[in-house]
Amino acid sequence: METQVKQIIARVLNVSLDVITDDLSAGDIPEWDSVGNLAIISTIEQELDVEFPLEDLFDLTSVKTIVDEVNQLKNV
Amino acid sequence: MFDAPHSHVLASIAAHATSAPDKVALVDNDARVTYSQLVARVENAAGLLQAMGLHRGDRIMLAANKEADFIYLYLAAHLLGIVNVVVDPSAPADRLNYITGITRPAAAFGNTVNPIDGIRVIAFGDLDLDNKAILPLPLPSLQSSDVADIMFTTGTTGRPKGVCLTHDNIAGSACNTNGFIGTKSSDIEALALPLSHSFGLGRLRCVLIAGATLVLVGNFANLKTFFTVLDTEKVTGFGMVPAVWQYIKRLSGNRIARFAGQLRYIEIGSAALPIEDKRLLMELFPKTRICMHYGLTEASRAMFTEFHQSQDHLDAIGRPASQLVEACVLDEQGGAVPDGADGEICVRGNMVTHTYFLPQDNDGAFYGDWFRTGDWGHRGHDGLFYLTGRKKELINVGGEKVSPGAIEEAIKSLGIADCACVGVPDPKGVLGEVPKAFLVKGNCPMDFEEIKSNLLTKLPPHEVPVEWAWIDAIPRTSSGKIQRLKLKQ
Repeated sequence: METQVKQIIARVLNVSLDVITDDLSAGDIPEWDSVGNLAIISTIEQELDVEFPLEDLFDLTSVKTIVDEVNQLKNV
Repeated sequence: MFDAPHSHVLASIAAHATSAPDKVALVDNDARVTYSQLVARVENAAGLLQAMGLHRGDRIMLAANKEADFIYLYLAAHLLGIVNVVVDPSAPADRLNYITGITRPAAAFGNTVNPIDGIRVIAFGDLDLDNKAILPLPLPSLQSSDVADIMFTTGTTGRPKGVCLTHDNIAGSACNTNGFIGTKSSDIEALALPLSHSFGLGRLRCVLIAGATLVLVGNFANLKTFFTVLDTEKVTGFGMVPAVWQYIKRLSGNRIARFAGQLRYIEIGSAALPIEDKRLLMELFPKTRICMHYGLTEASRAMFTEFHQSQDHLDAIGRPASQLVEACVLDEQGGAVPDGADGEICVRGNMVTHTYFLPQDNDGAFYGDWFRTGDWGHRGHDGLFYLTGRKKELINVGGEKVSPGAIEEAIKSLGIADCACVGVPDPKGVLGEVPKAFLVKGNCPMDFEEIKSNLLTKLPPHEVPVEWAWIDAIPRTSSGKIQRLKLKQ
């Protein structure tokens, strides 16, 4: 699941996969701006068939927090 | 200490460095730069530009990365009479090649994501701004009417246009804005807007002219970081575009309201904001001056409205920003139209550009000294100005001019997540143009027929779209404006 999430983030932001490290956060690279962040959220929801709870969106600020959230929602 | 009578921005910074040398001007990550240090850094940067053989009238390309070195070079160029061609660091190669191709900069600085054909861009990290002594002043006799910056329009239409802005223009816009907002030297502003746009770069000048403190923040993507900055730096004001407000709302709910007590002002601009969002902002920030500007790169902050003061006229774009700005509504021959009647909104004043970089771009851009905004609207009998839509975007349905914004507002009121309308040729060949709607489906259970019949209760029949399409996302510029041309293609 971690690899899938990272691949989606890399594809949505149009950067290479090796840029997507665990501690990379929104705003760290120019491509990960607010529009990019919304695109990441909606693409993951669509492609991995999950729905992020509204109250969690504020905390989904890094690759690691997004991966952890998806794992939790998928009960991985 | 430099003397720069041609630049009110520089003269103000120098005055603050004299009266409050230890006051913090800039916060860039862990670095805190005082006004006296800012003056020294700008002089060092000017020394560097001189050492490179650059002089008055030359142009340099500056990629507007959100870092202090950009600000030093930007101001140093003003000091020497060098013209800044300001670009977005992440601009596509085609755009950068076009801009540098026509402006032919003598040097280029910054960290651009894409390379530029035939130009070496010197990264900010490679600059040695220390110990670069500026050559003896006085500087060549510069005029406040000299061009200071060339900004390129973001381009909802065609190729980008270079807008020449004089020292008077950029200072005029900042002074008009500070006067309306009431910026004080005690203010601390978080700047998360891009510096490559008129709005963000304008905020920088507003803060420095006022002698206040500017905290540089990467962008709004990481709201936790932005909120931490609001908290730790005791921020009293910030600027945002409507798309950012939607983002803040979606990701953080009402969390931002906990800063209501400390935020003296919020400036909003660059695109329209729905009235329900204006009301929500007023509710969340009952004591904050929520100032929304209307303007263009060519005529920055031409008008202003403050939500609390204009709560009965939240649909208006406001009044001219200061006594040095005038606005009027003219017909297609440049003649005045009476209050209440629609026409093209035109402005003149201290912040309005005198010319585009390419002379041919001036064709049709002015009526005398009135700049034609390309926006359609009217002046109400209350003296306030109201926007109907972009003139070029108006849909001409059998001679009736229809604003796509009005249709979009009606569609969104049905619960559609997002939408945009454009004019397309009438398939029946009768009306000339008819509206076509692009809709983002979201969770909407309705089909087009249901939406259409609901709209008939809200809009005159000729305004109800004839053609319909679902779309994944509405194409927008980085400042949130709908790119209608893309939808037409």
